[in-house]
Amino acid sequence: MLHTLKLLLPAIVPSWRFFDFIAPSPRIQFALLNGADDTAQKWHEFRPRPAHISFKQMLARMLWNPHWNESLFLVSCAERLIAFPTRHSEDEILKRIMADLKYHSLATSVTTATHLQFRLLMIKRQGSALQHSVNYHSRIQPLSGQALK
Amino acid sequence: MNFVDAIRLTEILLGFAFILQSIEHLKSFTNERYLFLPRLLLALLLIIGFHTTWVVLLLFLLSLTILYHFQGPYNGGSDRMGLLILCCLCLVHLAPSVYWQEIAFGYLAIQLVLSYFISGWVKIVNPEWRSGQALKDVFQFSAYPVSESLRGWAKSPQILFYVSWAVILFELIFPFALFSSTALAIALGIAALFHFSNACFFGLNRFFWVWISAYPALLWFQLRFFTPG
Repeated sequence: MLHTLKLLLPAIVPSWRFFDFIAPSPRIQFALLNGADDTAQKWHEFRPRPAHISFKQMLARMLWNPHWNESLFLVSCAERLIAFPTRHSEDEILKRIMADLKYHSLATSVTTATHLQFRLLMIKRQGSALQHSVNYHSRIQPLSGQALK
Repeated sequence: MNFVDAIRLTEILLGFAFILQSIEHLKSFTNERYLFLPRLLLALLLIIGFHTTWVVLLLFLLSLTILYHFQGPYNGGSDRMGLLILCCLCLVHLAPSVYWQEIAFGYLAIQLVLSYFISGWVKIVNPEWRSGQALKDVFQFSAYPVSESLRGWAKSPQILFYVSWAVILFELIFPFALFSSTALAIALGIAALFHFSNACFFGLNRFFWVWISAYPALLWFQLRFFTPG
């Protein structure tokens, strides 16, 4: 109860400090593994943004934008994992990667993978160049057979 | 806009914003459906004005459950603004007199003004915002641009410099619009366009619908405290 009230307080007395500084930005990358002790060979970007979105699509997204809003939630989870790692944030990201694997064609081409891991790649500007660094590796999560079908 | 109409319009707009949010979760995981299907129904009742006191209270309790479920807001500032509006509506409906109702609704109006002014203030004190670099960073590497083609804006620093200053100045002068109902109507129109562009460029559609839900509170507040007679 106290924890929930602590979560509620920033809504009742907001700080309104939107974009006060541009923090390092997380990208979620995942790897499919062949066992609990396998090492990731290839990392895939999770939900890469499309090359282009038309104005018509933007207008439609004013009313219906579940995929992107979920991605924004995952950005929050990633930021929370960097600031104060919790099982909840890790579970939320793993759960959604598994759901995407289940529904997207990527899964159909991968039949041998039994496990999943994600990592957080942080991007920040250092001087005039962009700097990439891996700041977090998740636990290795077994994929249920159903998750890939 | 009178007090009763402003409250009613806030309820209708917030109900609509909650419906849009809730529908998005209905095809999600089962435990999310259990949270958002009741929210969808309560939002519908809020719009039609059915037992509003109970409906806003139930919506508030459900919002706390959702906050706990996601261990924080699902979509940051927009969820927090939705909760703030809901809290103020609860207080309006539970307040023992019109005096306390006006304080609760007035608090929402003041927070809406602060949401623009403080956002402008934290930007103007930051040299990276003043130089346009911060907005360039947003387009270049933040997680927000909805497509790769939008990242190309980072290559137009001159434009981003002017856009940064336009946003900063608008946010800072927003409170002065309270001195005239015409100025306030124009300012709210510009603010809505600002949220619309954020929705287009950064996919922040929830901000648009939730923020405009609070506008009736400010329109009433201006008439109540800043209009002579």
